[in-house]
Amino acid sequence: MSHGAEHLSGEGRRLLNRRGFLSQSGTALGSIALADLLAGDGLLGASGKGPIRPVIDPSNPYAPRRPHYPAKAKNVLVIFCAGAVSQLETWDYKPELIKQDGKPLKGGPAVTFQGPAGNLARPQYAFQQRGQTGKWVSDMIPHLAELTDDLAFVHSLTSETNTHGPAENFLSTGFVQDGFPSMGAWLSYALGSENSDLPAFVSILDPRGVPQASVNNWGPGFLPAEFQGTTFSASQPIRHLKRPDAISGPQDRAARSFLQRMNARHLERNPADGKLAARIASYELAARMQLSVPEIGDLSSEPEHIVKMYGADDTKNQIKADYAKNCILARRLIEKGVRFVQLFNGAYASGGKLNWDGHQKLKEQYDVHAEILDQSTAALIRDLKQRGMLEDTLVVFCTEFGRMPMFQKGAQGRDHNPDGFTCWLTGAGVKPGVSHGVTDELGRKAVQDIHPLYDFNATILHLLGLDHERLSYFHNGLERRLTNVEGHVIRELLV
Amino acid sequence: MELFLKRLICLCAMVFAGDAIGEEVDFVRDVRPIFKEHCYDCHGAEKQKSGLRLDVKSAALKGGEYHRPNIAPGKAADSNLIRFVRGEVEDMQMPPKGEALSAEEISILSEWIDKGAVWPDGVDAVELDDPRDHWSFKPMKRFDPPDVSTPGWARNEIDRFILHRVKEEGLTPSTEASRIDWLRRVYFDLIGLPPSPEKVQDFLTNDSGNAYAEVVDELLTSPRYGERWAQHWLDVVRYADTHGFEVNTPRPNAWPYRDYVIEAFNDDLPYDRFIFEQLAGDTVDRDAATGFLVTAAALLPGQIGKDDASKRLARQDELGETVTNVGEAFLGLSVGCAKCHDHKFDPMSAQDYYSLQAFFAGVDYGERLVVDEEAEKEAKVLREQLAPLKATLIGMVPSVGAGAERPSVRASVNVDRFSPIGTDAVRFTILSTNKLEPCIDELEIFTTDGVNVALHSQGAKTTFSGSKESANRHQEAFINDGRYGNSRSWMSNETGAGWVEVSFPDKRTIESVVWGRDREGKFRDRLALSYKIEVRDENGDWVPVADESDRAKHDPNDKSTEILTNAENLPEAIRAEARRSLKRKNDLVEQLKSYPDGGRMVFAGKFREPDSTRWLRRGDPEQPQEEVPPAVPAFLEVKDFSLDTGASDRDRRKVLAQWLSRPEHPLTARVMVNRIWLWHFGRGLVDTPNDFGNSGVPPTHPALLDWLATEFVRSGWSVKHMHRLIVLSSTYRQSSLVRKDAQEVDADVQLLWRFPSRRIEAEAIRDSMLLVSGRLNFEAGGPGFDLFEKRGGLSGFPPIEKFDTKGLRRMIYAHKIRMEREAVFGAFDCPDAGQSAPRRSRSTTPLQALNLFNSQFTLDESVALAKRIESEVGGDVEGQVDLAWRLLFSRNPESEESVEAVDIVREHGLVTLCRALYNTSEFLYMP
Repeated sequence: MSHGAEHLSGEGRRLLNRRGFLSQSGTALGSIALADLLAGDGLLGASGKGPIRPVIDPSNPYAPRRPHYPAKAKNVLVIFCAGAVSQLETWDYKPELIKQDGKPLKGGPAVTFQGPAGNLARPQYAFQQRGQTGKWVSDMIPHLAELTDDLAFVHSLTSETNTHGPAENFLSTGFVQDGFPSMGAWLSYALGSENSDLPAFVSILDPRGVPQASVNNWGPGFLPAEFQGTTFSASQPIRHLKRPDAISGPQDRAARSFLQRMNARHLERNPADGKLAARIASYELAARMQLSVPEIGDLSSEPEHIVKMYGADDTKNQIKADYAKNCILARRLIEKGVRFVQLFNGAYASGGKLNWDGHQKLKEQYDVHAEILDQSTAALIRDLKQRGMLEDTLVVFCTEFGRMPMFQKGAQGRDHNPDGFTCWLTGAGVKPGVSHGVTDELGRKAVQDIHPLYDFNATILHLLGLDHERLSYFHNGLERRLTNVEGHVIRELLV
Repeated sequence: MELFLKRLICLCAMVFAGDAIGEEVDFVRDVRPIFKEHCYDCHGAEKQKSGLRLDVKSAALKGGEYHRPNIAPGKAADSNLIRFVRGEVEDMQMPPKGEALSAEEISILSEWIDKGAVWPDGVDAVELDDPRDHWSFKPMKRFDPPDVSTPGWARNEIDRFILHRVKEEGLTPSTEASRIDWLRRVYFDLIGLPPSPEKVQDFLTNDSGNAYAEVVDELLTSPRYGERWAQHWLDVVRYADTHGFEVNTPRPNAWPYRDYVIEAFNDDLPYDRFIFEQLAGDTVDRDAATGFLVTAAALLPGQIGKDDASKRLARQDELGETVTNVGEAFLGLSVGCAKCHDHKFDPMSAQDYYSLQAFFAGVDYGERLVVDEEAEKEAKVLREQLAPLKATLIGMVPSVGAGAERPSVRASVNVDRFSPIGTDAVRFTILSTNKLEPCIDELEIFTTDGVNVALHSQGAKTTFSGSKESANRHQEAFINDGRYGNSRSWMSNETGAGWVEVSFPDKRTIESVVWGRDREGKFRDRLALSYKIEVRDENGDWVPVADESDRAKHDPNDKSTEILTNAENLPEAIRAEARRSLKRKNDLVEQLKSYPDGGRMVFAGKFREPDSTRWLRRGDPEQPQEEVPPAVPAFLEVKDFSLDTGASDRDRRKVLAQWLSRPEHPLTARVMVNRIWLWHFGRGLVDTPNDFGNSGVPPTHPALLDWLATEFVRSGWSVKHMHRLIVLSSTYRQSSLVRKDAQEVDADVQLLWRFPSRRIEAEAIRDSMLLVSGRLNFEAGGPGFDLFEKRGGLSGFPPIEKFDTKGLRRMIYAHKIRMEREAVFGAFDCPDAGQSAPRRSRSTTPLQALNLFNSQFTLDESVALAKRIESEVGGDVEGQVDLAWRLLFSRNPESEESVEAVDIVREHGLVTLCRALYNTSEFLYMP
């Protein structure tokens, strides 16, 4: 792989130009000399401000790489609630909304995303004060509510769009458009992997199906394909992991060893070609994955009390049991050092049947969804905690936007609301029991400490020891970042 | 101390100002200290809030993004700077925090501006580079190629430029590649497929001095060439056959643009023409070309909020993508940055951006009906072929009273065949349904000649028991309009009952009625389970001819959609014919979908009267500013290319196209020759092919780039001319072997001291596997074949594992799903059509290894390859191994390889060997 000037920022390149570097000596200087040169000018390294682009060794793209500064978190678990969970039925308690139930919202929008707005509607679940903090949390999620003291909430997030697909893009990639790298891809690119037998980035899909922005949530965008998420779940193995049925074990081994000999001979004929060596290494890693992935996906070694705690033994609710197994799988992956695990709860648009998009019959549908989400997710966080894994694992609970305090006209559900919604963090480096940011008394809009999702993502990168303004990739003439040209770390959430 | 000094200076300045009555205000002495004290924290070298910088003359006098000019020389009262420091504008008090300026300070500033805002040159601490002073914005220069002292190496001008630089660095070029390596290289490069063993033999034995040129000519005239090179362009413009975002449903008629690009490359359409047609092809009968304008993802109406702000945002997003395409593809500039603020690096203001956008203010994303005689003729031919096929198939369905049990009623399509009978009317009565009011998408009545006399266009008239109508979905007229599907159907207004009567202008001899609920197979409710069909006799009485009583029991899970369900149970004599007819019919039906009445639908934009364009503060549609006319960016020459705000949509696009395709345009030719170079060598002379601006990488060989660009224009913008120059050059003909000495100096091979070998792309891998297995289907053009079981919707894209003949076409003819990578080959860095991909990354990942080693596709092609080899050389294992090597690697095996391979075949079978060979680096690398 090249170590030339294309790895530099525009600024860095202009500097080089001034020095006549390109015209005088081509690329005679190696990357190390170049890095030194730039560090001297403060364009690289901890003291500078310039972009930082990790140097990827093509024969080992997943090698662990150091963060920009000491990190609080080594791994991330993202619990991604697709379809937009209502903040008003969960974490953002609005007593005033109970009082104004059935009244029109004065000065509110006549038309929202799906059409005409109806009247204000009270939260559909009762709220109770929880734990030491006494924070009001909904009865919809009794197990998660018990964890309230450990969580750091942001109630004042905003999105740039009120359409699910672009909004999931925005949450996962920092851009509403298709085609930008997902957060997990950025982290694999920045930090590599701690485990040489497993992918650095795994996306576990909901048993009900794919989320709305689908592959965009785990895609590499314009980053090299190495850094894309690998999708599998407790019920869906990695595609092409196993040899085809028509091929026997001995045939498979014979083909593999012959292939490696052919490739080794080809490398001998073309010596010093790093890409050819990388191909040989990639087949070796694939072979290791063929052993390690089934092992990690085999939950039979989990003790009964764990299976019970997650609800993976639920015989009446198959979806819940499957989601619970995904939760166990998530823990096992993080235990093995998988850098970024994205756990989906909720699938695609379905009139709210398969995800949190409660437009028409919110209460009825949320009863079903909460049953699937609550116990297993809470068990996962407890399990991580009791194993001491929250010391270096950051847990993110997120959704693409919130919902309106009004019901839609003629319906029993809420429309899309990108103007003020709630996500939370817990685990490594996160201050427990914080509630930051405020929506107005009816929960329509964020009014205090307003944070576009850029800020939330900047905070996640920060906890991983990465400066969101410097982690970059040069693409089509631009230093691209997860946070575009925006983002401020939300310090109030940090220890 | 420093603070103290600042204050002191400031104080002095005031003292001077106060003392010097009648003396001119001096910028350095009087004005700058005020700026420094109050303004530079936000508008100095470090930060430039709102784009305003007050420490440099040129920037200060230009002003900030939103309030320029902040300093209007001679007019202090009109200068925003004065108005803001005085607090005259709400929310714009400057400085926003901290102490306001004193009255004396304000009066100094006012006086300075009123006296002409004299700002002497040479007093500023820094001078800003003028972003207009940039190599790619200046005219091209045709330099003579340097004289080089290694005569005999250089074959053409390219070589002299390259050799000169190689030698300058103290390097030497590499030796010439072997004939086989060059041949494989140029095959993969120009057509994306390896040479056949016969072509290898021909070339190796061709002693003529013209052997290389003959190969290149042959490849450039092959239709395979356009199929390969169009892909490069489609990567740049992010072509896909779906709309993107969450629903990602098909754009079924996007493909004519893909075919247009293939044809353009095959015809060597001059590049200036290629640009013009993609922007304004509708003005010159090249309609599909304007697909370029709308290649990007776009939200469908249902995905856009019902509120007006959401609609405005969606429109801006669409236009933004079109401008991005033009900026990146033709200009090689990242103009999109200027959407929200003045471009940080290039001299492009936000106003410039919206002026560029104004060229497309009359373009909507959508398909338009392109009426051309060709389409009409093509459709007619297809329809004429279809009618007898359908008649044949209907004739194979068991008829009423023939004794055999008739197939059950299905939601898709049902045939009721009976003895021929003369009549002037048919009545279809529904007696029960599986659910709700019955629905029929089309009722067809065939004569013994196979003519559907129920069609409205045949003069048939309909009456109904009663109807439930909804616009564009259920209407009475839809029952005999010749179009299928739920959205073209009739619905009764009565649960479980209803009738329709079809009368003909005169008496006809009919023998079958064909009807269904939804022939597209999506809906299975509202199906008539019990029904009767009657014909009117001469006395006006209704005579029954068919009902469901002799049919098999209805199966609610039956999803079949074929007319003929029992093809496999037919007598052997007609079974083959049935199969053939079915297949042929299905192909025709698929093809006919793209030909609505009188023409074909093409997803190439819809054109209308342009909206007025206002520039938007921060890119926010809710903050519109002044109206802007369509105009090309001011920093590039604009003479003769201005339009007023009233210009028509066509004029706008034509003018833009004319400006871009001028021979002397400083960017157009340079950007394209750089792409061509990049697609040959894997990297461009400019390493940022979509960014020739100030933040792009400067060219490694500026003189060569300009020579190529001017040569391109001189050749009449011929892409094929550039191919010939490049692939026949000594530079291209070098060996790809890595040499340690040179590697240490230039690991990236920027100087081209060797040919940079590389892995072939996803499409080339798939196509090449199919070619050597003998299964590649060369059928060109038309709607794409499916890579996935389902064509869209939200529930994911389950991949097709086993492909039929259609699926064995070249991969460029796949129905390309945006963002969703193909299940096996997508992992080989296949662009996702989200953002422009001017250069493919080439990663190496374990997923690639798993896909290529374990997929059904590889297994199927291994089996096919093994079969092909066996059929060509029989059971001789050594011969099998030899042929495999010749097919895959264009050479014979070495003895060690042969021994090993023969052992594998003997012990594990030829398929095992083939599976391994498909995975080898040698097969997958362009040498």
